[in-house]
Amino acid sequence: MGVDTILTDGIVPAQLRQRPEALLQVDQLSIDIATRDANVRLVDNVSFGIGRGERVALVGESGSGKSVTAQALMRLNSRVKLSGRVQFDGKDLLSLSNSQMAAMRGQRMGMVFQDPMSSLDPLMTIGDQVAETLRIRGVSKREARQRALDVLDELKVERAAERLDSFPHEFSGGMRQRVVLAMALVGEPDLLIADEPTTALDVRVQERVLDLLDEISRRRSLAVLLITHDLGIVAGFADRVMVMYSGRIVEENEATLLFAEPQHPYTRGLLEAVPRADITVDRLRSIAGAPPAPGARPSGCTFHPRCDHAMAMCSSVEPGETITPLGARVRCHLYGAG
Amino acid sequence: MTLVLPTAAPRRKANFTAYELTVFGVVAALFLLALIGPMIAPADIYTSNMLETLFPPSAEHWLGTDDQGRDIFWRLVAGSRLSLFATVLVVILYSIIGMIVATLATVGPRWVDELLMRITDIGLSLPGLVVSLGIATVLGPSLQSGIIALALTGWPMTARILRTTMRRTMEQPFVEGARILGVSRTRLMLKHVLPNSLDVLIVKWAGDISFTMLILAGLSFIGVGAQPPSPEWGAMISGARGYMSIAWWAVAAPGAAIVINAVAFALLADILQVRRDPSLQA
Repeated sequence: MGVDTILTDGIVPAQLRQRPEALLQVDQLSIDIATRDANVRLVDNVSFGIGRGERVALVGESGSGKSVTAQALMRLNSRVKLSGRVQFDGKDLLSLSNSQMAAMRGQRMGMVFQDPMSSLDPLMTIGDQVAETLRIRGVSKREARQRALDVLDELKVERAAERLDSFPHEFSGGMRQRVVLAMALVGEPDLLIADEPTTALDVRVQERVLDLLDEISRRRSLAVLLITHDLGIVAGFADRVMVMYSGRIVEENEATLLFAEPQHPYTRGLLEAVPRADITVDRLRSIAGAPPAPGARPSGCTFHPRCDHAMAMCSSVEPGETITPLGARVRCHLYGAG
Repeated sequence: MTLVLPTAAPRRKANFTAYELTVFGVVAALFLLALIGPMIAPADIYTSNMLETLFPPSAEHWLGTDDQGRDIFWRLVAGSRLSLFATVLVVILYSIIGMIVATLATVGPRWVDELLMRITDIGLSLPGLVVSLGIATVLGPSLQSGIIALALTGWPMTARILRTTMRRTMEQPFVEGARILGVSRTRLMLKHVLPNSLDVLIVKWAGDISFTMLILAGLSFIGVGAQPPSPEWGAMISGARGYMSIAWWAVAAPGAAIVINAVAFALLADILQVRRDPSLQA
C-alpha cells in the first residue's frame, strides 16, 4: 500500500508536481492513533500543496479526516502519530521543537475554529484577547492594542475603538466570529487554517464572514485552507478543492472544474446531494450507505461498497493517483492508467 | 462600511428584590461596623470598673456590663473588627492555599495531581476543628494561632472543588486556543483558567465566612484562640460563662452578635447561589 501503489501506476507522484511558489507542501502525510488494541490510520498518505495567497478547500463528510489533517498541519494533537513531510515556507514542521512550533502558530499560521462562542474567554475584553497573540511575543501594550484595533477595523467591526473594552457576551455570533478571525489574523500569518469557520452561523452571516475573509485574503495575499462539509460555501470562495473520503484525498481540481466536471463517483454523489438553484430536480440524490470507520476500511478502493460504478478490481486493488485530461487528480479505477 | 448602531452595547442590569437588598445592606453594615468599630468605641472598654460590674441592660449600658464592669455593647462594637476580619482573613488564606494546590494539580504532571489530591483527601477526612485545636494549642493560645490553625485546615475543600472546575475549564476551546498560540503555562493559568473557574467559589466564600466565624469563636471559647481581655466575641462568651446564671446578657449578647453575622453571610451565600443558578429559585 502507499508509495508502491502510487509509483506502480506510472503516474507522477504528488511531490514531483510541486508548485513553484508552494507555501505549504504536504507529502505523504499519514496520521495514526494508537488505541488500546490496534493502530488506527486516520489519514492515509495525503499529499497536497498550497500556494501563497491561494484559497484551497478541503471537503469531506464527518469522520473523513479533514479536521485531523488540519490539526496535524499545526501539530495540535499530541496523541496522534504523524509521518510524512509537512513543509511550510521551506521549514519542515514535523521536525520543529514544540516552542518553535508555537512560534509558527499565530505568527506564520493562524487558525480559526468552529465555535465562536467558546473560542473566546468570557472574562477577557475583546481588545485584550485579540492583542494577546502579540503581547506574548513581547509587543508593547499600546502597539498591541493599536494593531488589535486595526484588525477589527479591517474586519469591519463597527465602532471598533469603543468595543475593544467590551466582553464577548455583548457581541452577536457573527461579530464573535470576526473577533476570532481577528485573533488569528493579528499576527499577520501567511496561512490561515479555518476549520468549519461558519458552521455555527446562520446563512446570511456565513456569507458576510466569508466575503470578509475573501477580501482580506486578496488584500494580504493570505493563503487559506478552508475545511468544511458544506460545498455551498466552497463554490464562491475557493480556488481549488480537495475532496476527502475515509482518510484519503480522492479528487482534487480547480474549483470551477471540479464543480462543472466532477470525476470521482464520490464527488459526483456529493454534488448531486446539494440543492442547486440552476437545476430543477424532483428529488436530491443521496449516496447509499455510510462512510467506513477508520479502523474498518474496505479493501481496495474504500468507496467501492457505496459506488455505482464499482468493478471487480475495485474491491481488491487500491487505486493510485491519476491525472485526468481535465486536470483533476483522482484516485479511481475508472481513470486508471489502462 | 460605516454602519452606526443607534444604541450603546447593552449592559446587563441586575434587578434586586427588597429581600436581597436588605441582606446586602446588613452585610455591608456589618463590614462598616468592623471597619470603624474600634475607632468609635470609648477607651474604657479595656479597663475594669469595679463599681459597675454585671449591670443588666439599661439606658446607659444598652447590653449591660460584664464582671469587670465593662460596657458589653461597646466591647461588641470594638470586637467586631477582630471577629469579622479574622474570619475573612482565614477564608482568604485558605482560599489562596486551595488555589495554589488546585493550580499545581492542574498544570503539573499526573503524579503531582495524584499526590496533591490524596493529601487533600486526607485533609478532608480529618475533623477540622480537632486538628485546628491541636495546631492552635501547639502554637500557643492566641488569635493568630487560631487564624493559622484554621487556614491550615480549611483549604482542602476549596482545592478539591477548584481543581475539578479548572480541569473542566482547561478543556474549553478558548484555553486550548491560547495554549496552542504559545501562551505560557503561568499566564494561561492566571489569565484564563483561574478567573474562569472562580465563580464556583463565590457562593462557597459567603457560606465559609459564616461557618468560619463560628469555628473561630469556638476556638476562643475553648481557650486556644483569642484570650481575655480581648473583645473577640468567642473570648467574651468564654469569659462570661462562669457567671452565666446571674448575668445571662454577658453570654447572650456576644452569642447573638455571632449569630447575626453568621446568618447574614449564610443568607448572602444563598442569594448568590440562586443568582448563579436561577433554577434554584423556589
